[in-house]
Amino acid sequence: MATRAVEVNNAVPALAPERQVTWPKRQRARLSNGLEVILVESHTIPKFHGELFFRSGNAAAIDRGTGLAEMTATVVRTGTAKRASRQIEEDLRRIGADLSSSAGADTSAISFAGLSDFAEPLLGMVDELARQAAFPEAEFERERRQKLEEVKLERTQPGFLAGERLRKVLFGAHPYAQVSPSEEQVAAYKRDDLLGVYRDFYTPENALLLLVGDFQPDAMLKAAEKVFGAWQGKKPETKPSARPANPRGRRIYLVHLPGAVQTQILAGCHAITRKHPDWVKLGLTNSLYGGAFNSRLVMNIREDKGYTYSPRSGVNAFRQHGYFSVSAAVRNDVVAASLTEIFYEMDKLRSVPVPESELADAQNYLSGIFSMGLATQNGLLSQIAVVALNELPEDYLETYRQKVRALTPGDLLETARKYLDSANMQIVIVGDRVQIESQAALFGELEVFDAQGKKLS
Amino acid sequence: MKRLQIAIESTTLANGLKVVIAPDTAAPVVTVGVYYKIGFRLEPRGRSGFAHLFEHMMFQGSANAPKMQHIKLINSSGGVLNGSTHYDVTNYYQAVPSNALERVLWLEADRMRALKVDDENLRNQRDVVKEEVRVNVLNQPYGGFPWLDLPPVAFRNWANSHNFYGDFSDLDAADLADVQAFCKTYYVPNNAVLLMLGDLKPEEGFALAKKLYADIPAGAPPPFADPAEPEQNEERRGEVEEKFGTLPAMAIGYVVPKRRTTDWCAMALLDQALHGGRAGKLYRELVLEKQVAVELDGGIEDIFGYNGPTQMVTRILHKPEYSSEQALAAFDEVIREIQENGVSEDELAQLKVKWQSDYFSLLESGHGGMPRYGLMHLLACFTLFDGEPQLVNTVLDGFLSVTRDEILAAANKYLRKEKRAIVFRRPAAAGVKEAA
Repeated sequence: MATRAVEVNNAVPALAPERQVTWPKRQRARLSNGLEVILVESHTIPKFHGELFFRSGNAAAIDRGTGLAEMTATVVRTGTAKRASRQIEEDLRRIGADLSSSAGADTSAISFAGLSDFAEPLLGMVDELARQAAFPEAEFERERRQKLEEVKLERTQPGFLAGERLRKVLFGAHPYAQVSPSEEQVAAYKRDDLLGVYRDFYTPENALLLLVGDFQPDAMLKAAEKVFGAWQGKKPETKPSARPANPRGRRIYLVHLPGAVQTQILAGCHAITRKHPDWVKLGLTNSLYGGAFNSRLVMNIREDKGYTYSPRSGVNAFRQHGYFSVSAAVRNDVVAASLTEIFYEMDKLRSVPVPESELADAQNYLSGIFSMGLATQNGLLSQIAVVALNELPEDYLETYRQKVRALTPGDLLETARKYLDSANMQIVIVGDRVQIESQAALFGELEVFDAQGKKLS
Repeated sequence: MKRLQIAIESTTLANGLKVVIAPDTAAPVVTVGVYYKIGFRLEPRGRSGFAHLFEHMMFQGSANAPKMQHIKLINSSGGVLNGSTHYDVTNYYQAVPSNALERVLWLEADRMRALKVDDENLRNQRDVVKEEVRVNVLNQPYGGFPWLDLPPVAFRNWANSHNFYGDFSDLDAADLADVQAFCKTYYVPNNAVLLMLGDLKPEEGFALAKKLYADIPAGAPPPFADPAEPEQNEERRGEVEEKFGTLPAMAIGYVVPKRRTTDWCAMALLDQALHGGRAGKLYRELVLEKQVAVELDGGIEDIFGYNGPTQMVTRILHKPEYSSEQALAAFDEVIREIQENGVSEDELAQLKVKWQSDYFSLLESGHGGMPRYGLMHLLACFTLFDGEPQLVNTVLDGFLSVTRDEILAAANKYLRKEKRAIVFRRPAAAGVKEAA
């Protein structure tokens, strides 16, 4: 039995009329040097949150080295022309600020939050890191050695190993296939490589500054112009990567982790970017399938069968491609049983139209949680970042709920057929092969790897 | 500096249920929480992990909302929900569009009044909890380190020292009678606080609370075992094998002074001086300067959210070329330095600004996509432990008035070897040489 019918008790209070959701005004500006700025007021606490994005990340740096944008971001905060590492950290503390620098596949970013009273000194620090990072030799060496230990360590985490293998399988020769560098790749990093990435990526024309919080936007914009105005730099040239081949046929990849007392399942297939017209449809289909607590998959393999604590599905979007995935960490003896249910629920959505009432529930869910971001500075920042970085329409936030509500069972059936591609799902399982190999082999041609990525059979 | 004044109104119903409301119109969303004053610290002996297992059972059905309906009704109202078990409280919370306020209050009232679960539900959730323990502890590098490793070494009172996630044999032994007894003892209105935050008017919230909760009968005042620890007079050490990880690790815990004392405030700033990110003395010395450690973090976790013995804990993963004793010596040097010199005037000023800034963020911090979790948690703990939700607006003052002398005194009084416990987590994998 997959899902149980739940009779709604008559005593359950009805919903009151929905209250209006009003998204705050986004003030957009371009500084004299080409830096794009978006400012949004949110007075929940006397602080503000910000993010300085660069539209180039690890994918754009792939020819220079795997994970090189991330390494560059890491070293950015360790010294500038004016301040040594220790000074940077103390000066941040002095103004009550938090700051981090990191890179993903498509972006590099300096993220920060601080007290409104000290907005200008914090912006000054961000500008200094973006423009005058010094990449001190000793700091680079220290971070590189640190990174070596980190990449060893992550190969002991089932979740990491599953994600890494799936990305390799789905994206092949495309840069999105590379999740993290190997020890050899880290050992080969050169300070000059970091300087090159910094020079090319960290420019105002390549950047987007988002500021959300307790401030007066005109005054904040003036402060930004004053702080960042003198910074100069061109947009880097981008080299398009060849479209990754879409793997055909269901295949299964076992990453052998000796002694594992549980099996991490992660299966996925190609999907779409956020700009794709089907994005909202796939989002709703996903929330019905396994994207919410109340979803079919969670109700089935957790609440009905008790196979797992944490089943979830999701749509993961990069700038150029996307993929759909489903994950669950399950008891070793129910790997095959869990996969059967995972595919059963997928195929059911592909075969049988969703009942109207279930659709309405999912529509309410998705449109309701969409407004939660409004309540905090951080939540607002991340929603606005998604819109801006993906170049979604200006009214995306305002019209999203309408789009969700307009979908029909027919739309979902069509979407599930297109993207919950059960016949071509690539299945990764991470666990002790002795316990799970025979179960795995039931689901397709099997390849076995060790945690270092070496093929075992 | 700008202050933050949270509007708070509270009352207590005739059955003892406390109700706290913090209205705020930033978004058309309400957060509703129910906190019960029982956590894993005082769960029944022989039933380790039971408070958490019981938390799962609270989602398994009540008289008018059978299994799966609570979850379905929250999600389909456009909201998210969860629960979590802590040392001294267990919480249930949901954030929903504000038009679902009454529905959520009704659901929470229904399970407070009449939980209705059976053996099948219990078996199901026992299985789910075991997978939770596997995914978070048994099948993860450094799983449960140090929150499960340190207590059995540090403490002597079973309440503080047992396995809070639960031994599987204890989970297996738990039956429906345990569920019913625990529910009857602790899940009573006079042992709980109901919280409503966000887009609602206080009078509306109080009226609904009265309508839906006033007829839930009060229980007998719950018995609470004494969690006090005997005086510690010697350093305590223990070892745990690390099955997956590649780096040797250790955790050092010092007992924290009683909450809401001057010493406690001084200890919190001392914690900020030692653990406050990359500017903290420990990170700076062990990771940035001496480069002994690969990861270092810690502090007094959830400082406002406990009501019994707790520790300030430093968690260190260090390079395998250093022995545990060498890494510990580097740690000890930082402690010795702060015991000698305390913090400078300039440093203290920095610590206070950061503390205040962090406090604002704590109030706004979310949890699993749910806004205002932090504020809810503080309001609940200040209500249940201190009877004073308004502390949210005043508790900062104590920290901002700490002096250099008080920090120096706290360093010498509490950061003593005979007041600490250390757990070493050593990789079992070959190739890692331990000189200790």
